[in-house]
Amino acid sequence: MTTRNQVKVVGGIGLSGVIAAGLTGFVALMGLSFWIAGRAHIPTLQGLAGSRPERPIDISLNGHLGDYLFDLTTVEITILFIIMCIWIGWAVLRHNEKNHKAKYDHGDDKRANVSTAILAGLVFVCVDGVLLYNSYVDLNEVFWNFPTEAQHPVIVEVMAQQWAWNFRYPGPDGKFNTPDDIVTFNDLHIPVGRPVYARIQSKDVVHSFYLPNFRIKQDAFPGTTTRMWFQATQPGAFEIACAQHCGANHYKMEGAITADTPEQYAAWEKAQVAEAQRRYDPGDVEAHWGWEWEY
Amino acid sequence: MASVVSLQPRAKEDFTSYLGMMITLGAWGVMFAGLFFIYAGVRLAAPTWPPPGVPKLPVLVPTLATLVLAASSVTAQRALTSIRTAKRDQMRTWLGATIFLGALFLGIQYTIWSSVHDGGLTMDSGTYGSVFFTLTYFHAVHVAAGVLALVVLLVRASRYTVHQHGAVRHCTMFWHFVGLVWLATFVTVFLI
Amino acid sequence: MSEQHIHPEPTSFWRKYVFSVDHKVIAQQFIWLGLSFLLIGGMMAMMIRWQLANPGQPFPVIGRFLLPATHGVVSPMMYTALFTNHGTIMIFFAVTPIMIGGFGNYCIPLGIGARDMVFPTLNMLSFWAMVVATVILVASFFVPMGGAAAGWTAYPTLSTQMGTPGGGQTLLVLSLFIAGSSSIMGAVNYITTVIRLRAPGMTYMKMPLTVWGLWLTAVLNALFVPVLASGLILLFFDRTFGTKFFITGAMIKGGGDPLLFQHLFWIFGHPEVYILIMPVWGVISDVLPFFARKPAYGYKVTVYALIAVCVLSAVVYGHHMYTTSMSPLLGESFMVLTMIISVPAMVLFLNWLRTIWRGSIRTTVPMLFALGVVFVFGLGGLTGLYLADIPQDLYLHDTYFVVGHFHLTMAAAVFLGSFCSIYFWFPKIWGRMFNERLGKLHFWCSIIPITLVFCGMLLIGYSGMQRRLYNLESYEYAKRLLPMNQFVSVMAFTLFLGQVFFVSNFVYSVFRGRKASENPWELGTLEWQISSPPPHHNFDVIPTVIHGPHEFNNPEVLKKLGKDWLGQAEVIPGAEAVHEPAEIAQAGE
Repeated sequence: MTTRNQVKVVGGIGLSGVIAAGLTGFVALMGLSFWIAGRAHIPTLQGLAGSRPERPIDISLNGHLGDYLFDLTTVEITILFIIMCIWIGWAVLRHNEKNHKAKYDHGDDKRANVSTAILAGLVFVCVDGVLLYNSYVDLNEVFWNFPTEAQHPVIVEVMAQQWAWNFRYPGPDGKFNTPDDIVTFNDLHIPVGRPVYARIQSKDVVHSFYLPNFRIKQDAFPGTTTRMWFQATQPGAFEIACAQHCGANHYKMEGAITADTPEQYAAWEKAQVAEAQRRYDPGDVEAHWGWEWEY
Repeated sequence: MASVVSLQPRAKEDFTSYLGMMITLGAWGVMFAGLFFIYAGVRLAAPTWPPPGVPKLPVLVPTLATLVLAASSVTAQRALTSIRTAKRDQMRTWLGATIFLGALFLGIQYTIWSSVHDGGLTMDSGTYGSVFFTLTYFHAVHVAAGVLALVVLLVRASRYTVHQHGAVRHCTMFWHFVGLVWLATFVTVFLI
Repeated sequence: MSEQHIHPEPTSFWRKYVFSVDHKVIAQQFIWLGLSFLLIGGMMAMMIRWQLANPGQPFPVIGRFLLPATHGVVSPMMYTALFTNHGTIMIFFAVTPIMIGGFGNYCIPLGIGARDMVFPTLNMLSFWAMVVATVILVASFFVPMGGAAAGWTAYPTLSTQMGTPGGGQTLLVLSLFIAGSSSIMGAVNYITTVIRLRAPGMTYMKMPLTVWGLWLTAVLNALFVPVLASGLILLFFDRTFGTKFFITGAMIKGGGDPLLFQHLFWIFGHPEVYILIMPVWGVISDVLPFFARKPAYGYKVTVYALIAVCVLSAVVYGHHMYTTSMSPLLGESFMVLTMIISVPAMVLFLNWLRTIWRGSIRTTVPMLFALGVVFVFGLGGLTGLYLADIPQDLYLHDTYFVVGHFHLTMAAAVFLGSFCSIYFWFPKIWGRMFNERLGKLHFWCSIIPITLVFCGMLLIGYSGMQRRLYNLESYEYAKRLLPMNQFVSVMAFTLFLGQVFFVSNFVYSVFRGRKASENPWELGTLEWQISSPPPHHNFDVIPTVIHGPHEFNNPEVLKKLGKDWLGQAEVIPGAEAVHEPAEIAQAGE
């Protein structure tokens, strides 16, 4: 038996007594927090139910790829996490000084090293390896596989600014900075079923063009162009968000992305082109913010 | 002379401060490497370098500056070997020479800056001016600090002996470091 | 072996308490500084959480005094300054001073059997440089146009004069530069001290793992903080002298590239997160075997794993930049490397788990916190896997998922690890015992809320809400997350209030706690073989080390000495001399 000099160690029953005291204290503090939160809003259970974790509706062609990997990762990680919790709990409760004598083992013999290598290797191959393989395929076949000219994507130039989104379509002539360009403000229309190829720039600071319902974003830089492509599978009105801190009104930089049926889109485009040609002002230098397109 | 004196215990203490100085200079070098990294990034991304409209940088005068600084490294090292062989007066002379050459280098830098300024290049004239002036100004600040340190060494020369001259060695190491940084600057900014 | 003379103790107040060159005093100075800024940074976090949960409501009790212009309501501009300074303060002025400045200074000389650091004056300068940096930081809040507000990451062009005009951001840049210099000074000291002043017999593989963790932290500091320094210099020049390294845009001719700053920043930034966690990894790797009463499992493998993480830390930085349209090859390389760096971390973790398995665990307060670190770091580390993967990161980047992940690994783990260290070394530093019950209460009132806060953030980010938002009302998909944000906020307030158990325990025990013996935890490392607190010169006689730091329940020791621990310099009676004197002297080089 070892001797104690000064520390009265609490184990066994004492441990659960302290846990109980701890939880009580914690609940008391929580109550205090609620009280301080006072006149302001306290989450109700109903509110929490409405607030349950759920991804925004996915209307994209390829968003499910990332979602699938996320769900797969979650399953693997949950297994590992549960193992870890059981391991720690078991060790603390069953291998503690009240009921277990320690094993003198440095864990530095060959057996230990081999088992460590095997365990680490196994987790790496099964978890990381699977993710890497799937990602490699997804990235090369989908995310970085940009539409070619032959596929007739909708091409659009995105110019982010503090604190709004400008969009420019080339119009029937297929060239940017010409009179038939459709230029919209915070309003992106896309047809369902056709790939949309966006090139993104910023006027001032770094922003990030984020489409939650398409599971994708790319940063917007001044002076350089970034790019992404996406495709809608169903019509509807959704949101564009800015995902990079860009100043005081970063939180209000909302845009609208509307997925139209092909007919609706054609009608919209026609009306917009007519409007654009009517309002074209060759002298307005700032309005010609478009740049030459590169596939 | 030095071989007669047993240096064993002190040699180990000397190594400690030498190690500390080397790590310090290593960290300092990484900082300069970061500056050169940005220079490389900016230069590789530019469509042409030098960009159109900037004055051509001189080559002869900076080469002279390089030779001056190289010579000053030689004199600084001579100062160190002097005190290592107990020749304090010689050390004073070599320190003085180093200070003179260092100040001369700064003077030459000033003429380079003036001529480039007259040619229309300033700190805020785009990336070319930014790179040129940031690297040369920043380096010059270190040269000035080095010269100041050498002056302090010269003033306090009487306290340095064969056994106790750590400060002399450290300042010399710093001076060589500053020379190496200039070499990198000279080659990447003026030559290529 | 360098000679370590015993210098006389200083007598004047200034030399003893203010400009001390004693590593133990400097350590305490750093710890007090760090704890003060932990409080300030924490208060900022509370204001952020308040605004998110109760948009547009005045901050209770002290809001009127802190924000008189808006009657206590946090404005959008103030909000951006809050999250910027919260991050900066927590990283550079709370965690760095406590773990690296504080425990680095305290534990390294004592752990290796030395009388002090090799460069005591440099040590003192390192502390005072940190103080100067904090003064400049605080000054930045009071300049017209307010303090820095471009995020702790300070991306240009938002962090240039065009994005954040005025002196506040410039002062922050200056403050960070000086804080960085303080870190580099400390790093030079720590690296050289461990190389040169290890006691005879203390080979590298006999050092406590705390020293390993702190030493490798210093190596990372020396290598990568200068990279930040260079980025800060260029940003400072862009702000002050009109250079255009990072400024570009439609109206600017001949500008540079803001993306270059991101490269430079993250080449520093990713090793920085390892700098922040590595002291805690080291401490935990010691505390777990100490209180499981068995040797650290796989000591050598743990050391190699720590070194591997250091080596890999700089080549994974691109995972912070997946959404910048970098070349596919580059992106894939960063992805693979980021997955690879999880392997040594996993090995480290496995060794911890296998250390406590089949142990004889004493659930002391430091042990509870250490187990807490294992728990939150395991959870946080696992969530990193999602972000390492590019297809998933395209959705999760810059959402609350990232915030939850890095707070679990960096904030929660380091928070609990700092308290583990404080409680663990409390008897040694202050020579008194703290109140055990209050300590355990503090533990439970910290770990439960901290886990819930950041797991809540993981869920909020999963649901798509992006970070650095003043309020959620602009976005339909985020608006419905208000109750969950309120829950997270309430948990955050609970966490903050729960620290009262620590503050009261700490302040009372430092001055009035029961006097501590020299080895209350019954451990073998060198600092526990001398008085609590140690004398000014640490060791009367520099010990000669024979054993490793975790010789617990060694059967021979149990038999011959009747105790389950063995001092590193303690001779087992009747044991053969394992080392020849010459070997010992050589091993100490």
